[in-house]
Amino acid sequence: MAVMPMSKINIFGLRKDRKKILEAIQRMGVVDVRTFEKDETGFDGIDTMLSRSKFQKAKTDCEQALDIVGRYRPESKSLFASFDGKDLLSHEDYNRMVEKRDMIFNAAAKILRLEKSISENKAKIIKLTGNIEALTQWKELPIPLNYHGTSKTSAFIGTFPENCTEEFLLKQFAEICDKKEIQGVADIVHVELVGSNETQTCAVVICPKTVSAETEEVLRYMGFAAPVLSGDGIPAEKIKAFENEIEDAKKSIKDAENQICDSASERDNLKFLVDYYKMRIDKYQVLEQLGHGKNTFAMTGYIPTRDAEKIEKELSEKWGAAVECSPADGDDVPVMLKNNGFAAPLEGVLETFSLPGKGELDPTAAMAVFYYFLFGLMLSDAAYGILMVLICGIALWKFPRMNEGMKKSLKMYLYCGISTTFWGVMFGGYFGDAIQVIAKTFFDKDIVIEPLWFSPMNEPMRMLIFSLLVGIIHLFAGLGMKLYSLVRTGNWKDAIYDVIFWYMLVGGAIVYLLSMQMFVDMASLSFILPPSAGAAAAVVAGIGALGIALTAGRSSKNPFKRLAKGLYELYGVTSYLSDILSYSRLLALGLATGVIANVFNKMGSMFGGGIVGAIAFTIVFIVGHTLNIGINLLGAYVHTNRLQFVEFFGKFYDGGGEKYSPFKADTGYYEIKKD
Amino acid sequence: MEFMNGLGLAFALLGAAISALLAGIGSAVGVGMAGEAAAGVVTEDPQKFGKVLILQLLPGTQGIYGLLIAFITLSQIGVLGGGTAAISLAEGILYFVACLPMGFVGLWSAIRQARAAVSGIALVAKRPDQMGKAIIFAAMVETYAILALLISILSIVGIPALGL
Repeated sequence: MAVMPMSKINIFGLRKDRKKILEAIQRMGVVDVRTFEKDETGFDGIDTMLSRSKFQKAKTDCEQALDIVGRYRPESKSLFASFDGKDLLSHEDYNRMVEKRDMIFNAAAKILRLEKSISENKAKIIKLTGNIEALTQWKELPIPLNYHGTSKTSAFIGTFPENCTEEFLLKQFAEICDKKEIQGVADIVHVELVGSNETQTCAVVICPKTVSAETEEVLRYMGFAAPVLSGDGIPAEKIKAFENEIEDAKKSIKDAENQICDSASERDNLKFLVDYYKMRIDKYQVLEQLGHGKNTFAMTGYIPTRDAEKIEKELSEKWGAAVECSPADGDDVPVMLKNNGFAAPLEGVLETFSLPGKGELDPTAAMAVFYYFLFGLMLSDAAYGILMVLICGIALWKFPRMNEGMKKSLKMYLYCGISTTFWGVMFGGYFGDAIQVIAKTFFDKDIVIEPLWFSPMNEPMRMLIFSLLVGIIHLFAGLGMKLYSLVRTGNWKDAIYDVIFWYMLVGGAIVYLLSMQMFVDMASLSFILPPSAGAAAAVVAGIGALGIALTAGRSSKNPFKRLAKGLYELYGVTSYLSDILSYSRLLALGLATGVIANVFNKMGSMFGGGIVGAIAFTIVFIVGHTLNIGINLLGAYVHTNRLQFVEFFGKFYDGGGEKYSPFKADTGYYEIKKD
Repeated sequence: MEFMNGLGLAFALLGAAISALLAGIGSAVGVGMAGEAAAGVVTEDPQKFGKVLILQLLPGTQGIYGLLIAFITLSQIGVLGGGTAAISLAEGILYFVACLPMGFVGLWSAIRQARAAVSGIALVAKRPDQMGKAIIFAAMVETYAILALLISILSIVGIPALGL
């Protein structure tokens, strides 16, 4: 239960070994690399931006190829695939794969090319289909659309707006000729319809060449327009040609798809390559942080002290690198926690708040005890607890290689489940009152499982007092942590001023309340402390209050300012009241679980006994309790966190530490064995 | 007298309805608001779904507390469970009043909590590592809903003992 001691490490090596040394360090994954101070040491920095962006591009290509393969040939994944963890890769396999990397990359490039040709062909098909549609009305026309007539005649091919007949068009032509006073044209013009639809009529207009200009003018007046698609070729033949082209495109799409499906065998290789480029990007990032000399390089960083010796030995023996370690005590020393199996699952929760800052205690172990306790108290249903234990336990047992974060969460819920079961038995909740309801509805018997302690639903006041008591213990434990850390560093005075006085004030006030008839009645307690105890408690509380008022402002020299600050701090006692009341959520959330469970049980039993009733009950039971577990797990998680972060940590913990994140093989698919 | 007793029951039921209604509306509005924000984050980064979902659900608890109060009231006055306890007018009004804290505080705290959750979602979008703090900001608001729930529960459970 502690923060791991860290060492500052400096590594100096020959430039020719740089690549090998970096790879070894990456494989060991224990050095949190920092930027080497280049100015005064004569070492230079290098810019790896270009190489990194090249690798990034290659990585993106591989990822896209993987994605494409996945689209055409989805990977068969089990429902629990996310529990499986990364595949192990031996060092020899790794080297073999690295040698094949160009081949794999070509496969990726090919997949991308195929995908590109597929989308191009798809676009082509759309365009061709549009062309065919535009030509369909001209299908009957036996001449090309750009036909202009013979040596003596002119031909105009195009469309008139709206659907009309030959006679109507001729009549309209004649009318316009009259209006424009064009003579001798209307009689000799020939119109032939080719096809029509609701919005237009396709026609060929033929006239002698001598009057072609006039005819064109009249036609334009009538709204005659050239066809959308012009060009050589008889429409029917062109349609045929387009259709063939579509067929070809479809075939090549099919071909490309088959080829992509065939490359599904490359999937594992592509995954490897993604990891490989990721590692190289990381490595080049680190390269930028090193100091580079003409023949040497220098690296600096932090390392857990326990690993220092190992890395020193390995690097100096293999490559003759000079390694220098010294205990680290800067402000930016990264934090790594070490806890036993009981507390370690909560490191993640602590991380969401903040890691211990410089010189702070690791509160995980103290938090763990309360965390499981409070979580169970809020969920407090034995059946739910057993379900949690079973599900988490089976998952942990079946999938030993799942990733570390997931393992921690499952372990946390496993312990929370045990606590939930305990409190469920104490308070008599087994899927709410399911046993009682089932016995009554289907067997007409009265079976009641009595709670081992008491039922909060029947005695809410008792539960409230218990919740507040838990709160007081939790808060005092928080103060205790502060006491411990102050005493540990030898700040005896601060320990008395900032902790002991508060213990006296708050503790005394509570004991005093317990000796008051009014409070005892209100809380319906079965005992009352004698007045003499109350008086003694009042004196203790008074001393505490006086102490706080006099000492809390001790950082100020000015006596008035000092007293004012002290009184203000004393006013902070109201925050203890709200902190303690905050624990009433233990009652509220505990009741919520029980009452909602009971609602679903009652709903299920409303269909009566018999087979129909049993089926209906089962359905309501499963859906209802699944929902209830979901809602209340979330509630218990959020509010346990809140009680820890706000009430508990508020008493002693600031955090602000930076997470230890070593330079390692940070892969997504494969884990490379450490020899 | 019978009419008065009927009126008592009506008041008690009104209380239960108000508690479920107002707190339910508050949570529906709140979860909806947070859901819009969460969907926005997921368009950018689908990986954050799990994180923003928790934040979205936070304002949902008030509706459950409202349901809880309504249910306790219903079973106390015998609407659920078939018991036909006679509810006097005074008792009915007491039940009604006892339900009010949960209804009103549930409504407002759910909406305010949703606003904190929406900001929390924006925080998680930019800095996913600050998830714990984002939850706490929203959970601070919930304290008041829990206090209201507590008063409502204690009042409702205490009413029969008054013997009115």
